[in-house]
Amino acid sequence: MLKVGIIGCGKIADSHAAQILRLRGCEIVGVCDREGLMARQLFERFPIRAHFSDVTEMLDKARPDVVHITTPPQGHYELARLCVEAGAHVYVEKPFTVHAAEAEALLDLAVKRGRKVTVGHDDQFSHVARRLRRLVREGYLGGDPVHMESYYCYDLTDPGYARALLSDKQHWVRRLPGKLLHNIISHGIARLAEFLSTGPLHITTCGFVSPALQQWGEREIIDELRVIIREEPGRTAYFTFSSQMRPSVHQFRIFGPKNGLFLDQDQETLIRLRGARYKSYAERFVPPLGFARQYFEAMTGNVRKFLARDFHMKAGMKCLIESFYQSIVADAPLPISYREILATSRIMETIFDQIYPKLREPETSLRTGRVVQVSAG
Amino acid sequence: MAEPQCIIGPDERILITGAFGFIGQRVVEGLLRRGWRRLRLFVRSSGPEDLMARWRQLGGPEVELELVHGNLLSRPDCARAGQGVALVYHLAAGRGEKSFPDAFMNSVVTTRNLIEGCLAQPGLRRFVNTSTFSVYSNQNKPKGSVLDESCPMEPHPERRGDAYSFAKVKQDEIVMEYAKTRGLPYVLVRPGVVYGPGNKSFTGRVGVGTFGIFLHLGGSNLIPMTYVENCADAIVLAGLAPGVDGEVFNIVDDQPLTSRQFLRAYKRQVRKFRSLYVPKFISYHLCWLWEWYAHWSQGQLPPTFNRLAWHAYWKKTRYSNQKIKQRLGWTQRVPTVEGLSQYFSSLREEKRHA
Repeated sequence: MLKVGIIGCGKIADSHAAQILRLRGCEIVGVCDREGLMARQLFERFPIRAHFSDVTEMLDKARPDVVHITTPPQGHYELARLCVEAGAHVYVEKPFTVHAAEAEALLDLAVKRGRKVTVGHDDQFSHVARRLRRLVREGYLGGDPVHMESYYCYDLTDPGYARALLSDKQHWVRRLPGKLLHNIISHGIARLAEFLSTGPLHITTCGFVSPALQQWGEREIIDELRVIIREEPGRTAYFTFSSQMRPSVHQFRIFGPKNGLFLDQDQETLIRLRGARYKSYAERFVPPLGFARQYFEAMTGNVRKFLARDFHMKAGMKCLIESFYQSIVADAPLPISYREILATSRIMETIFDQIYPKLREPETSLRTGRVVQVSAG
Repeated sequence: MAEPQCIIGPDERILITGAFGFIGQRVVEGLLRRGWRRLRLFVRSSGPEDLMARWRQLGGPEVELELVHGNLLSRPDCARAGQGVALVYHLAAGRGEKSFPDAFMNSVVTTRNLIEGCLAQPGLRRFVNTSTFSVYSNQNKPKGSVLDESCPMEPHPERRGDAYSFAKVKQDEIVMEYAKTRGLPYVLVRPGVVYGPGNKSFTGRVGVGTFGIFLHLGGSNLIPMTYVENCADAIVLAGLAPGVDGEVFNIVDDQPLTSRQFLRAYKRQVRKFRSLYVPKFISYHLCWLWEWYAHWSQGQLPPTFNRLAWHAYWKKTRYSNQKIKQRLGWTQRVPTVEGLSQYFSSLREEKRHA
C-alpha cells in the first residue's frame, strides 16, 4: 500500500485527494497545511488518516512514500526538498518551482537521493493528449515536428479568481516573477517543451496589460502574451496566452513534414490534419467530409468514455498520478521527463525575464523582449 | 439617541465587516438611525463616496465612521480592526464560492481570525455572526413541519454538495467552539432568503435553470423570505438586545410567499421565461438518482443534487419568526407587498440598463 501525503489544502488539493482515492493500492495517510483549519476541513471531507499543520511532523509521524505539494508556488522548492530529504517521492503542482535554478537543484537532489519527482502538467495526460502522443510516436507526423502552436487562454471574467486577484494587491500571485502568467501558462508551455529536443532556444516575447484590465485600473498584471520560440536548427513554436480573446481556447497544433494534429482540450477532440492535398475542387469537398467524420467519431468516443465512467474533468490528473505511482512501485519510466520539466521552467523564466523588467517603465503597456538563448538540454 | 435597553452605550465602538455588502449597508444605516456614532467598517477597498457621504449625513456631525482597510485572512489586519471594539457585526461572507476549500477559507478562517483579533483585548460584549437557514437539517422532520431555532444543524454538510452551506455550518461551529473555550459572547443570526434592491440572484429554493429550461421545484412550498431592510433590523437588534448571549435567531418575514406565487409575480413584473414544474415525488427521485450516479461514477458528475439538498431546499416546510419577535422585539417594518414591489422594480431597472 503506497502511503500518500498532501501539503497545501486549498482548492487544487481537493482534486488531488479525489483522484488519489480513485486509485487502488494507495491511501492518504496525512494532509498538512500551515493553516490548521484548512488541513482539518480536507481531513473531514475525505477518508484521510491524519491532519497536520507542520510539515516535519507529518513527514515524521505519517511517513508518506509520496507527497503531493499543492501549495502556492513560492513554497514548492523548499517543501519538495524537505520531502525528498525525508525519503519521499514528490509530485509538485504546476508551476514546478518559481525559478529554473530551483528546478535544476531539486531534480539533482532527487537523482542523488534515488527519489522520483514529477510536476502537475495533468493536461498532457487527458485522453486526447495521450492519443496525440501515441500518434506522434507512431510516426503520424512523418518525422520530427516542424512547428507547434499552443494556445492557453484564461477567462478573467470568471468572478472567483479574478476578483480575488485584482482586488488584492498583496495576492500571492502578484508576488511571483511572472505574476498571473506564472501561475497559469505551465500547461501550455509544457505541451511545447514535450516536443522540443535539446537544441538551444531563441525566445521572443511580447506581453502587455490588456485594455480591459487597464480599464479596471490594473497596471501590473500582464494578461496578454505572445511568444515565438525557435529551436536550432529550425523547429519553431508559437505560444499564445490571452485573457480577452473568445473563445477562451486551450488548443495545441503540431505539424510534421507530412501531417499535422490538432488537439482541443476543452472539447476533448483530436483531429488529424492530412498533409497530402486532393486535386482541384476535390480539396474543397473531400476534406470537410473527413473532418465531419473525425468530429463525429470524437463525439461518440467522448460519450462512450462518459458512459464507461472514464471521462472525469480531472481524468488527466488521475492518469498522471497513476503513471507516477507506477514509476515508483514498478520502476516504470517517469510520466514526465526531467528534461521536459527543466525546459518548461527555463522557457517560462526567459519569458518572464523579458516581459517584467520593463514593467517599471512608466506608460509602457507593450513590451517586446529581446532574443535570448536558453539551453533546454 | 441610542436606545436605553442596550448592551453598549452610544460612544462605544462597533465593528462591522461586509459593511458595503447587500445586508451590511442596511445594518450600518440601521445603527446610524438608532443613534450609534462610532462605527468601524472593516473593508477590502474604499466604498462608494456617495454612500459614505449619505452615512455621514444620516449620522450627523458627531458620527465617527472609521474605515479599516484589510483582509480578513490576515491576522494582523483582524487584530487592528478588533482593537477597542465592544460589539461586532460579522457580515462578510464568502458567497459565490463553488469550491469547498475557498468557501471554507473565506468563511471559517476569516471568522476565526476576526474572533482572535477581537478577543486579544478585553471589552468585547458581543459577536454577532451572520449565518444562514441552509445550515439546518430537516431531513428527519415530517413534511410541512415548522423549521425553527430548535432544529439541528446539518450533521454532514460535506454531503450536501454545496460549498456555501458546508462553510456556514463550520463557521457557526467555530463561533460556538470559541464560546466554549474562550468565553466568546455571541449571537447567531440566520436569515432566510434575503431579497431586495441590489440582489440579482434568484433563490434556488424556487428552482434551477441549469438545464436550459427553468425547472420549478418549489411549487407550493413557502419561501423563507425576508426583505433586506427587515433582515437588517433584526441583525441590529440581535447585537444590541440584552440577555440573548448564546442564542440563535432565525430571520424571516411575516407573510412568506409560496414558490409558485413568487415565480408568477416575478414573471409578471420582471421578465417572462419558460418554466417547467417538477412535482416533489419526481424531484426527490431525480435528486436520489443524481446522488447515486455521482457516487457510482466516482464523481464524474459532482453530487450537486442529492437528497440532503432536497430536504433542505425543496421539502415542504413552514417557518417561524416568533423568537425574534419575542426576544428581540422585532417587527416587520417593510410589508412583503412593498418589499417585493421595490425588489422587482430594481430588477426591471437593471434589466433596462443591461
